[in-house]
Amino acid sequence: MADPRKPRAPFAPWDRRELPGAFDVEESARRIGHYKWIEMRLFEALGGWVATVPELDVKMRLGTHCYHHAWHAELWHKRLPELREMNPDRRTVPPNEHLSAFVEALTEPEAPEQTIEKLVGVYRVLIPHTIAAYTYHLNNSSTITDAPTIRSLRLALQDEFDDWRDGEMLIESLLETDAEIERAAAHQVRLEKLMRAAGGIAGPGSIGFGLEG
Amino acid sequence: MRKFLPVAALARDERFTQVSMAERMSDPRSTRPGPGEDQRRRPNRLTPARRDAVDAARSLMHGIFVGEVQALEGAGRTCWDFETGTEVPFALKLDMARQAWDEARHVEISCKLADYMGTEIGEFSENTVLFEAACSHDPVLRLAGVNRALEGLAIDVFTTMKEFGELAGDPYLEFCEDWMLADEVTHVKMGSDWLRRITDGDPARRDQALEFQSVVDKLFSYGGVRSDSDQSPIGLARRFRELAGFTDDEIDHVAELSLSALNETTEKKASLRSQAAAAIVGADRS
Repeated sequence: MADPRKPRAPFAPWDRRELPGAFDVEESARRIGHYKWIEMRLFEALGGWVATVPELDVKMRLGTHCYHHAWHAELWHKRLPELREMNPDRRTVPPNEHLSAFVEALTEPEAPEQTIEKLVGVYRVLIPHTIAAYTYHLNNSSTITDAPTIRSLRLALQDEFDDWRDGEMLIESLLETDAEIERAAAHQVRLEKLMRAAGGIAGPGSIGFGLEG
Repeated sequence: MRKFLPVAALARDERFTQVSMAERMSDPRSTRPGPGEDQRRRPNRLTPARRDAVDAARSLMHGIFVGEVQALEGAGRTCWDFETGTEVPFALKLDMARQAWDEARHVEISCKLADYMGTEIGEFSENTVLFEAACSHDPVLRLAGVNRALEGLAIDVFTTMKEFGELAGDPYLEFCEDWMLADEVTHVKMGSDWLRRITDGDPARRDQALEFQSVVDKLFSYGGVRSDSDQSPIGLARRFRELAGFTDDEIDHVAELSLSALNETTEKKASLRSQAAAAIVGADRS
């Protein structure tokens, strides 16, 4: 066994973590407040839709995913005071009115014949954008100073990837005709335009682009 | 998507047929004893010893399945129908989202169990009273009606089914029911805790909620299907209700309501039998 009194480097040779990160405390809190807002809107919508979809397998998936996003909202809610935001509600806002418009359009479908639109909005537009924003945040955070955010991002991303895969497979199983494919695509285009106007779930700069204005 | 979805808008595939509670309970395959079996006071608890045990258990499992679907829908709607902060606390919504996940798993479990018991989805009809209780515009009434009354009934049902599995030597059924029972105790506890927290300092609102709970409790004791009496197919699971935050007085209250529903039905049946006997005698004389 090595001599326990022999000095060792604080970072082992395999530990390549570095101090610099792209976000200061304020910017991290701003983004996390927007994440909480969108995760809340998403779990509420998924919960509301459960009763409106006749497909039993979809009904059960929406109920399951509803909790995943509620849990993400809770993770972000608990992180905010740790970033000096003692009133988390103040940060729980959309980044701009365009994202509010996106959520309005996302949650518009209600009829039992609109399962395709409901799923496309979540699994082909919102969740991919959420994965993108979380990945950008993860890859640009200081692995030492903001390790708690990184841990939450990783936990949330794991759910997002799993849920995205579930949702995509459900959509593929529902698209039986050319007309349905066109419906799905048209709804995706409509929502994608609104999301583009918002600049992503955290506004312009959600994935690093668009900040120059 | 609108707030407060009416019961008529519940989305179902073509296998589901929705009927009233009375129609559902009059299905001869239900857990209530059939017309030829309730002429005298005797134990009707759902056990493998009952002659109609197979159909009654299958019927109950299908009832659990549709109940879980509606419970999932109700919990989900509470996430959507109310504004966070102004109408319900954020933490309450998180609990309802958690409940939605639990109920989704219960739908999965009950689908598999129903299949295991030889039942197809839609073989029995559905009544939507559970979701109706989840349609109140007051979140406190939803907690009282759904989490306290209906999830409380679920505790009773799962306990009975778990015991049925034990008696039948069916560890598969017993195992699954025990897991669902653990979740239901959690849901009732959530309801008990939130009801007390939200109505703290507002006794009138609490009374109104408890009154609503009583109405739902009595409704779901339909004809004495659930009570302490062994004439009821489903027993009252006192111990698990205690774990879920019911006080002794509250459990006694549910017991009284249930027994009163059972007695009403027994008296009504006796009266109908007397009328029928009188009619037969009258017909013979003429």
